Amino acid sequence: MNNNTLLKKSYPYLWLLPSIVLMGIFVVFPIIIVFKLAFSEISKAGIAGGFVGLQNFRDAIALPAFKTVMLNTLWWVLSVVILSTVIGFIIAMVLNQKFHGRKIARAIVVFPWATSLVIQASVWNYIIKYEYGNLNNVLLNLGIIKEAVNWRMSYQVEFIWECGVGIFVTIPFVCFCVLSGLQSIDGSLYEAADIDGAGFWSKLFNITIPLVKPSLTVSTVLNIIYVFNSFPIVYTMTKGAPVHKTDTLITYLYMLSFHERQKGPATALSVIGFLILCLCAGIYMVSVLRKEDN
Amino acid sequence: MKERTVIIKENRTSVIVLILAFVLICSLLCLPAYEFTSSIYTKKSGNTFVGDEKYVEVKAEVEAVAEEYRADGIEVTLNESVIERTNSKGKTTSMVTFTLDSSFTRSGWSFLGSGLTSSWLLLGIILCAALSCACALGGIVGSMGDSYNRLDARSASFRSASAYLALIAMLLVPVFFMTNTFALSRQVKLFTSEAMTEGAEEFYALLNAFLFDGTAGDNIASALAGLSFRNTYAAWGVLPCTFAMMLAAVSLRHGTIRQSFMCGLLYAFVIAMCIFILYPYYVMLVTGFRTSAEANDMYFLHIFPTEWHFENLKYIMGRGIPKYLLNSLLIAGGATVIALLCGIPAAYAMARMKFKGRNAFLGFVIMSQMFSPVVLLIGIAQLMSALKLNDSLLGLMLINAAFNQAFAIWLLRGTFVSISAEMEQAAKIDGCNTVQALIKILIPMAAPGIVTTLIFVFINAWNEYTISTILISTATNRPITVGITQFSSFNMIEWQYLFASSLLATIPVVILFMCIEKHLTSGLTAGGVKG
Repeated sequence: MNNNTLLKKSYPYLWLLPSIVLMGIFVVFPIIIVFKLAFSEISKAGIAGGFVGLQNFRDAIALPAFKTVMLNTLWWVLSVVILSTVIGFIIAMVLNQKFHGRKIARAIVVFPWATSLVIQASVWNYIIKYEYGNLNNVLLNLGIIKEAVNWRMSYQVEFIWECGVGIFVTIPFVCFCVLSGLQSIDGSLYEAADIDGAGFWSKLFNITIPLVKPSLTVSTVLNIIYVFNSFPIVYTMTKGAPVHKTDTLITYLYMLSFHERQKGPATALSVIGFLILCLCAGIYMVSVLRKEDN
Repeated sequence: MKERTVIIKENRTSVIVLILAFVLICSLLCLPAYEFTSSIYTKKSGNTFVGDEKYVEVKAEVEAVAEEYRADGIEVTLNESVIERTNSKGKTTSMVTFTLDSSFTRSGWSFLGSGLTSSWLLLGIILCAALSCACALGGIVGSMGDSYNRLDARSASFRSASAYLALIAMLLVPVFFMTNTFALSRQVKLFTSEAMTEGAEEFYALLNAFLFDGTAGDNIASALAGLSFRNTYAAWGVLPCTFAMMLAAVSLRHGTIRQSFMCGLLYAFVIAMCIFILYPYYVMLVTGFRTSAEANDMYFLHIFPTEWHFENLKYIMGRGIPKYLLNSLLIAGGATVIALLCGIPAAYAMARMKFKGRNAFLGFVIMSQMFSPVVLLIGIAQLMSALKLNDSLLGLMLINAAFNQAFAIWLLRGTFVSISAEMEQAAKIDGCNTVQALIKILIPMAAPGIVTTLIFVFINAWNEYTISTILISTATNRPITVGITQFSSFNMIEWQYLFASSLLATIPVVILFMCIEKHLTSGLTAGGVKG
């Protein structure tokens, strides 16, 4: 009898077991390893030694490129998230209208999302080549420019291009998040507003934005996390060159740990990045759980 | 509702505007559309100074030539340009170039017979405008006073056709100018610099007949090199005319312009957006099938490859791409199976059972959605080498499954919750156990949600790049995303192979994604996902 209730009580957990094992080993374990390494002494060969306190963090902050990389990461996340949210929102508003070919347009908007980031970055890398890039080629053909333009004249400009590609690939996600919000809005609200004589802007600010806000919050927070973690664009387009001037935190820590054999500071950077993400995750969780309650 | 008389009056105005605009277009085409200046005679005089003996002598000579031209009835102006330079003895001398320039104009109508690409465009503009007028008249006969939203089918389609034709005419106008600029500046430049040779003769013959009435003969290349041109305001005047035609036709169809204008803006935006999004894919497609020389050619001007070079596909097959594709398929397929096998029971428990810690697990699931494997790279690398799973497909399957697990559970749970539990309860009363009820009742009912989840996990795993670069060291174990990078080394990138293999890696995924696009809007913000 007693045995039976125990079985009954543990029954739901049995269903969760495979999932918990999988995530426990491959998600939780790496987190623990990274945290352990961050506080241990690590030899050049990458072998972990004893506890060293915050030494790795001090080393990381003392790295010459640390400040540039942090600033780059900030710019990267801010510009990509903000611009893609604004553009994605506009596109979603357009795609929510009724017009011929809407299905096709929606299917096309999905494209950049479905493409691997390495491929997307490689294509843009080719497009903006000075000597034979397709952008120069097309513009010359159209007679818009008379001479080939060097689209990557300095590393600052290259970084802007990277942000541009980041925005390009992030838009579909925002767009579909907002669309799902827009579709749930009751059409009668707009009809009522029309009767009251509300204009386009007043409908936008009084009906659309407040009602889309939950989806927008979710998409923005998720985007911060995905963009922060984005590796292939920067890695494919510049590899952080020259001297980490275009690196973001993620590509920098990859370079440090797998190319420059500085595992110690790299793990410290990992932990810093992880904590930043946790902060965002916390905000996201609160917003999602609040939605669940509703 | 508008009154009949008002409608008749409005329609009359629209038709008059339409026809007037057409007449205006025809008359504008009689005016000069392009002004050309061409140097028909050049004389260079070195080692001189402006005003010295040699200069005066040469100038007189050139003026004599000019007189000859004038006698033949060709209007020329004499221009001179001076370049100062220092010779080997350190003395500064001037190089004076005298040119006899002849200016002439060509009207819009004369373009029609030129045989250039632009002549077809002009023909199109005129035909569209004329047809637009004809359709408007056809659409208005017998329905002059009918309310705009109660037109009979024939009138409505005639009036719509009129508007669309006017729109086409309007869009063709800038294309006309663009083709002219292209032909007269870029194409000429490339032919004269011999960067492009194909079709040069026919092109020269056309321009010779059109610009110089066939008089330039063998000097055509130098005559073209000295050619400058600009279009006149009269030519641009066609654009507002076609615009007015379109507005008139639209108001003939709908009565109000504002709404139609917004509609046009909407379409313009959508089309521009689609072109922009598809642009990289176009580049991938055409570059993937070019030869190496064409992919790296500064002067390569064609929109498409001159010859579709399908040997590229054959070549990449020999460079291990099929193996990489197979690896990707195995990794993504394996990850999907594992993620669903673990995810479906968990999602079921979350949706149907009540137990302690349910909310905590939910929180953990949401939280772990945030942990991208990238920030944990170092930890994952250590763990995998400890488990002896580095450099193996199984390792990548497990990692991908684990990091997509949260999303899978979240999305599946949402699907299960939305399905009523009654059917399963009925099945249980009939003697099914929980597992049977899940497999026989719930899974078939939740199929769309499960397929969406499946495809999503598959795509995420297929496109994964970062972890694979670190874990995989043997070439034959690479997935396609890592495999394509073999074509780009530090100093040389074999673009055509890179893009040919990229195409193979992209097409299946894009198609899959388009299949679930419908479901994206419903399940997205609930689950919160991104590839």
